[in-house]
Amino acid sequence: MQLLATLGRRLLVVLPILFVVSALLFTALRVLPVDPAAMSMPPTATRDEIEAARRAMGLDQPLPQQYAIWLGHVVHGDFGRSIHLRRDVVELVRQTLPATIELALCAMLVAAVLGLAGGLLLFALRDNPAEPVAETGTTLMMSVPEFLWALLFIFVFGVALQAMPFTGRLDPGMIRPDITGFLLLDALLAGRLDILRSAAAHMVLPAFALGIAFAPPIMRVLRSSLLDVYHEDYIHQARLRGLSETRILLRHALKNAILPTLTLMGVQFGFLFGGSLLVEVIYSYPGLGNLMVDAVRNADLPIIQAVGLTYCVVVLVINSVVDGLYLTLNPRLRAR
Amino acid sequence: MIRRSLRSGRVIAGGLIVLAVLACALAAPWLAPHDPDEQNLLTTLLPASWQAGGDPAYWLGTDSLGRDVLSRLLFGARVAMSVALIAAFGAMIVGAALAYLAGYVGGWLDWLVGRAVDVWMSFPPVILSLILMTGLGTGLRNVILAIVLVDWTRFCRVLRSEVIVVARRDYVAAARLVGFSHWRTVSREIVPATIPLVVTLLTLEMGIAVVVEAILSFVGLGVRSDQIAWGQMIADGRDAIYQAPWNLLAPVLAIFFTVAGFNLLGDGLRRSLDVRMTEGRE
Repeated sequence: MQLLATLGRRLLVVLPILFVVSALLFTALRVLPVDPAAMSMPPTATRDEIEAARRAMGLDQPLPQQYAIWLGHVVHGDFGRSIHLRRDVVELVRQTLPATIELALCAMLVAAVLGLAGGLLLFALRDNPAEPVAETGTTLMMSVPEFLWALLFIFVFGVALQAMPFTGRLDPGMIRPDITGFLLLDALLAGRLDILRSAAAHMVLPAFALGIAFAPPIMRVLRSSLLDVYHEDYIHQARLRGLSETRILLRHALKNAILPTLTLMGVQFGFLFGGSLLVEVIYSYPGLGNLMVDAVRNADLPIIQAVGLTYCVVVLVINSVVDGLYLTLNPRLRAR
Repeated sequence: MIRRSLRSGRVIAGGLIVLAVLACALAAPWLAPHDPDEQNLLTTLLPASWQAGGDPAYWLGTDSLGRDVLSRLLFGARVAMSVALIAAFGAMIVGAALAYLAGYVGGWLDWLVGRAVDVWMSFPPVILSLILMTGLGTGLRNVILAIVLVDWTRFCRVLRSEVIVVARRDYVAAARLVGFSHWRTVSREIVPATIPLVVTLLTLEMGIAVVVEAILSFVGLGVRSDQIAWGQMIADGRDAIYQAPWNLLAPVLAIFFTVAGFNLLGDGLRRSLDVRMTEGRE
């Protein structure tokens, strides 16, 4: 019940943000030196025909009015048609969004596993001569952004070792079952193990490239919250009661140190979702990021607006869910 | 404070790396063995000099137009360092000014700045900079402008909460009581107390700016195509990954090296300048 109230309150914050974002997006892209009306017509169109198209698109109206028209359509789920691809924009987003979500979820799993394992390792190395080395190691890891990991992985595992595929989502020639749009899930639902294997193999490098870039902050936060927790009295008491160090770590310390770590992971997930763009471009992965970059190159305004807004909505949803989770997981906040 | 940070190994290592890259950028015309734009279509895609088929005249090989990779790498450092320094300072000025205003004045101004940060943060930074570059058009100046417009929130968010804490301290109230003007209170009492945080954020932002410039140039929305940037070299080198791998590896390593320098420096400064951290250590 309380969770619902929180989510409701979040929605009150999120809706105005979305409104402002959409207005900014609209205005920013209207200063572009491109003419959507001229671009949507065949090159043989006369000046009068282009003028007629401009009137039909509402481009002769003042900017606030144009925005109102656009917003009216958007509220009804109509983002218009792509100028370049000549297809319905909502349809394009619907086809690519699941791919990006799938990549982001797999990458988040990689980041979480690497982050937790690394955090425990860093904590185990405390007061050890190797500690400064390990800490410098995480600083260096943080200096490699996701797109450099992506390129390095292609170079090492794709080109030098030829161990992993690094373009697209499937082997060429395979036809994907389209049920939910989430390829790994669809392959399972269709019972096609060959497709599942191929899709999983294609997912490994992008997911690791994206995940490994977001793991170091998780390592650091887990380590420092564990260090904080170990100063508490109940750890001391558990030790006096003769519990083993492993039991103290897993049963008492980790349970309390995990909360800040989970919060950070939520924040990281938002950034990771945005970071997927470059990884998608590098691995020719047909998701939202590739759609966006193509649209930007072709100045395809309807797509840029829709995809920009989609990224925004996803980030806001992730943040709201993280807030809700934080409330339910933190007993101190639950009472309020 | 300065002496303490100079004792930190990270600060020294990071500082030396940054200085080395800066020196390469400044001395590129003298260090580069070839003209970076000189094409030689007879010697395209040469591998590095130590690999089979390499030419000792081209230490890191040549690209698809026969241009010397090492020379282009050195000249690419100029774009990277200009963006790192100017964009990071720009983002700092915008973000810090708003943070001091919001944190010190409070009230509706604080509310307004806070909401602006919320709106900005709901965009993934990469997406926002891509959209801005679409509107602004390519070019070094626009890359810098886009980074400032995207990353001011990194300063504003962190600094604002610090300013609120500092503004409540007794000595700030005392300064007001002895008749300091608002301007003098902020510039003499609050700004100095937050300098360590600003310096740390600034150093880390320089590393971020290098990455963002590389990303934008990589997707073809960064500097103009006649300027030499590491991101562009990566985009070109990706196509020649089998014949001449150093076309790709050299700019990748250059970006890593530069960003690692800024991160080590920032990390070291954070540890040695943050009073709470140094006191907290037994």
